[in-house]
Amino acid sequence: MSSGWSWWVIGLIIFNLGLTFFLFLWAPRAKVPVLPDGTTGHVWAHGVLREGMHRLPRWWIVISFAMYLLAVGYFVLYPGFGDRKGTLDWSSAKELATDTAANATKLDALLKRLGAMSVEAVAADPEARKLGARLFSDNCAACHGAAGHGNPLLGAPDLTDNDWLYGGTGQDITTSIQGGRAGVMPPWNALGEPVVKNLAQYVLSLSGQPHDAAAAAAGEPLFKTTCIACHGAEGKGNPLLGAPDLTDKIWLYGGTPAAIETTIRDGRHGQMPAWSPRLSDPDIHVLAGYVYHLSHRGNAAAQ
Amino acid sequence: MAYRHFEFIEKHAWTLGILTAVMVSLGGLAEITPLFVQAHSVKPPANVKPYDPLRLAGRDVYVREGCYLCHSQMIRALRFETQRYGHFSTAEESLYDRPFQWGSKRTGPDLARVGGKYSDEWQRAHLLDPRAVVPQSNMPAYPWLATASVDGTDIAARMRTLRTLGDPYSDADIGGAAKAVQGKTDLDALVAYLQGLGIANEPQPAQTAGTSPVPIEESSP
Repeated sequence: MSSGWSWWVIGLIIFNLGLTFFLFLWAPRAKVPVLPDGTTGHVWAHGVLREGMHRLPRWWIVISFAMYLLAVGYFVLYPGFGDRKGTLDWSSAKELATDTAANATKLDALLKRLGAMSVEAVAADPEARKLGARLFSDNCAACHGAAGHGNPLLGAPDLTDNDWLYGGTGQDITTSIQGGRAGVMPPWNALGEPVVKNLAQYVLSLSGQPHDAAAAAAGEPLFKTTCIACHGAEGKGNPLLGAPDLTDKIWLYGGTPAAIETTIRDGRHGQMPAWSPRLSDPDIHVLAGYVYHLSHRGNAAAQ
Repeated sequence: MAYRHFEFIEKHAWTLGILTAVMVSLGGLAEITPLFVQAHSVKPPANVKPYDPLRLAGRDVYVREGCYLCHSQMIRALRFETQRYGHFSTAEESLYDRPFQWGSKRTGPDLARVGGKYSDEWQRAHLLDPRAVVPQSNMPAYPWLATASVDGTDIAARMRTLRTLGDPYSDADIGGAAKAVQGKTDLDALVAYLQGLGIANEPQPAQTAGTSPVPIEESSP
């Protein structure tokens, strides 16, 4: 604040507080002319209502003056009197820094203990899971669902089935969270609709679903020359590329013939955002533990 | 001062009214006028840029649809806010927002730094049908955004207006506006706007080594 505006604010405060102080001194001593009947002479309704005259009660003056002193005390301690910073040197940014540091100290021991553990061990830690559940619902649940069951609309995978696109070790999960993931299935609509339909039938046959055997056989040569680049010769997928296993019953975008045709025709580019640096590394470590726990709950119960 | 002066004030309604107005306005004169005048001296940091045409169109959709009624864009300097949403908001960040979208109502979450938190696909699915991605959401659906297209000449006119108000758009920026939003829908524009929120203008420790950033509520004066 420029010094001109600072003095403007100071002037207004002094005027206001000064006037109030004057009233405190003057009002209890003011000589108010009173009629012999003890009223001020103000009448309403032809004299039925008359204004009486009473001194301000002492309790009222005491309480008001206490508030007045609080206002003065506030200007001494806190910023507000022009550009004075106040003797406490308070600011909301400093208070935030203090609060953040206090919270970090509170969590420090826990995060240090968890940081020394593997993600797999973090998954088994009840305290870490409590922390992880909070992080998950605030950041991951929007796509993967509150319970982690995924969303075929987005191609967000189910995290509870222990079937992994990019690998399911603690390290793999941490990498996925830190850097995000981007699906790279290209669109094959240039092949023409009959070819897409044949390929879809062949893909259905891989997981043993009902399919048109003739169409599947027609699609097989193309699959064996093109699709295997990512999905592998047996259609089992490739975790390096995030290419899904086509032989199981788990479908990212749905396993109906129509959904598979759409996937082949238009391609899929499911995207998981990178969570570094939005989340700190210790937070991601805890979160990876929680995600690992989601898919190993059965085992954890058995242990 | 004697009692008769006060009696005079008490018995003359206009005098009483005017003097009451003077006393009541003291707070505003001290708290609002300096901000009002000094707001013009807030300078943009290097990483705060005016909206590109598509994001500008998206911002207008945001305002038109009343998103600010449920979503704030101001992270307060409180630990439980910065931990959830990121660095607290600063006045410079809203320099090119006319009007600013700080808001004061959070039925939904704060959006000041939502850019990049979700994928574009998520934003689309969520705007068209929020329940499709967040089953417990009470946000309304905005299906018409996908069919309404952005008017390029209108965006260029808006950019010229903003330049009059001081936004540093070049002739090339304005000339290219129609092309930049060609074929785009309101949905594309709004998603571009949301995905840009807060991603480039978070105060950096290095940049603020000399002058530490201050939250909106206490920035200037």
